[in-house]
Amino acid sequence: MRAFLVLLKKEWRSFFLSPLAFSLLALFTFLNGWLFVSLINVARLQASSRSLVYSFFESGWFWMALLTLFPVLTMRLFADEKRTGTIEGLFTAPVTTTQVLLAKFTAVWLSYILLLTPILLFFLLLNLFLPVGAGVHFGELCSAFLGLVLIGALNLALGTLASSLTNHQMIAAMVAFVFVMLHYFLGFMHQFSVVPDSSWTSALTHFSSSEHMKQLSAGLLDTRAMLYYISFTALVLFLNFHVLEARKWRA
Amino acid sequence: MIETSALCKSYYGRLAVDRLDFSVEKGETVGFLGPNGAGKSTTLKMLTCFLAPSSGTATVGGHSIREDALKVQQTVGYMPENVPLYPDMRVTEYLEFRGRLKGLRHRDCRRRMAEVMDLCDLTEVSRKMIGALSKGFRQRVGLADALIHRPELLILDEPTNGLDPNQIRQARDLIRRLGEEYTVLVSTHILSEVEKISDRVVIIDRGKIRASESPKSLVRRRCQQEELRVELKATEKQVETLIEGLSKVELSSCESLPGEWLEVTLRTTGSKDQRETIATAIQEKGWPLRELASRTASLEDAFLEVVSAPRKNH
Repeated sequence: MRAFLVLLKKEWRSFFLSPLAFSLLALFTFLNGWLFVSLINVARLQASSRSLVYSFFESGWFWMALLTLFPVLTMRLFADEKRTGTIEGLFTAPVTTTQVLLAKFTAVWLSYILLLTPILLFFLLLNLFLPVGAGVHFGELCSAFLGLVLIGALNLALGTLASSLTNHQMIAAMVAFVFVMLHYFLGFMHQFSVVPDSSWTSALTHFSSSEHMKQLSAGLLDTRAMLYYISFTALVLFLNFHVLEARKWRA
Repeated sequence: MIETSALCKSYYGRLAVDRLDFSVEKGETVGFLGPNGAGKSTTLKMLTCFLAPSSGTATVGGHSIREDALKVQQTVGYMPENVPLYPDMRVTEYLEFRGRLKGLRHRDCRRRMAEVMDLCDLTEVSRKMIGALSKGFRQRVGLADALIHRPELLILDEPTNGLDPNQIRQARDLIRRLGEEYTVLVSTHILSEVEKISDRVVIIDRGKIRASESPKSLVRRRCQQEELRVELKATEKQVETLIEGLSKVELSSCESLPGEWLEVTLRTTGSKDQRETIATAIQEKGWPLRELASRTASLEDAFLEVVSAPRKNH
């Protein structure tokens, strides 16, 4: 636990002492703020059966910004240590591979959650200016946020895996982007006219984060989706562990 | 302290380390020599549990590298080749991170940091970013990192690589000083260095141990011949006849120098010092003599002898 906390602190330190953290935070908040304002304008002009939370988290703009976040956050984690050789110092210190992996993953996950918090503030601020009951439903917001946290865990785990597969940050980012995109677009399979609608495409839809987010941002807590994210994240981290251990046995 | 038994590592079907058996006793300073690609780094990486052996095993401080990796790593202070560090950390931050990571408690870590910074002469750069340090300082940060958790054994992989002659001397002095307190295994290919700091050298070539003994005895055993350089005034013919009359001395070359001087190179066999005999013989002839020097074989000669020995047999 001690080594885990020391590593976690170091990861956070190097993330927040780099300009990357603050430019990401600024850019992501700006894009989402813009989206939020435009959605409020739309809501002012025409009545909709959808809630603001639903239309925000279902918006393609939000997802574009979100999906590019994952590779940028994770590309550095192992690729950089491998390129500079510091991984040797890391793994010859008396720490286990699990500690290193979990510390890096948790650090990046917490950073991600921090990047998301301004979105919560948008909704809470809006509530301040609206009469009681007319504002955003709190439970719906929490459920959507929980969804984002879980989807983030899986995508960040995929990004971390990509980063431990290569020495180059850029390659890690590209691979992570492919993983993340693939996972997201599975849900749109049935919308592409080239793929005929079948039981296959509807099965794949169940794997897609877009599909789960639809339910969660409507305030429906589906335990199947939650279990799916938790177990899939654990699986990817498990694979990552073995990728890291494989360096010992490469022959 | 270190005991390896039939340690092997193969990469892509090639044996990088081939059934290595050697040991390092507590308190010893051992030089680990070998040409590039001989398997030095691979061996050290296995001893620090960064790589796992393909077969065979080793114990470090009584702990098996296969089963007790964490205990081994707690025992060892390791400085990897080229000293990889995080450039975006200050020296104190880095040492604190490493110390805490290696299990020191907060207070203790602070105290130990001051000690190792003092030992490695880092106090003046303690607030600097590592990325802004010169190679010599970075090397010392690496050494401070290796020392911080009070290991019993230091494993240094090419600690003087890329330093200038002055820094090499400083590093050597530091390693020698550390050798009084710690057990040290230091890999290098700079021979003069090893000769000065280590009690024993282990020479490895193409994954196999070729020699393991003190530098002096290695030189003595491997290089029985001694070379003598004589400068005198005489003709080549005269010298030849003189040398023929002596036993265990052979003429190897003659070269005339300006002013009728002659430079003669002789080879002696056997361990006896032949200088006196030769000097007396020359004096008897009454030839002017201005130099008579012996060039004893260096560790370099012994090293080349050891490393190239098997090739001769092919």
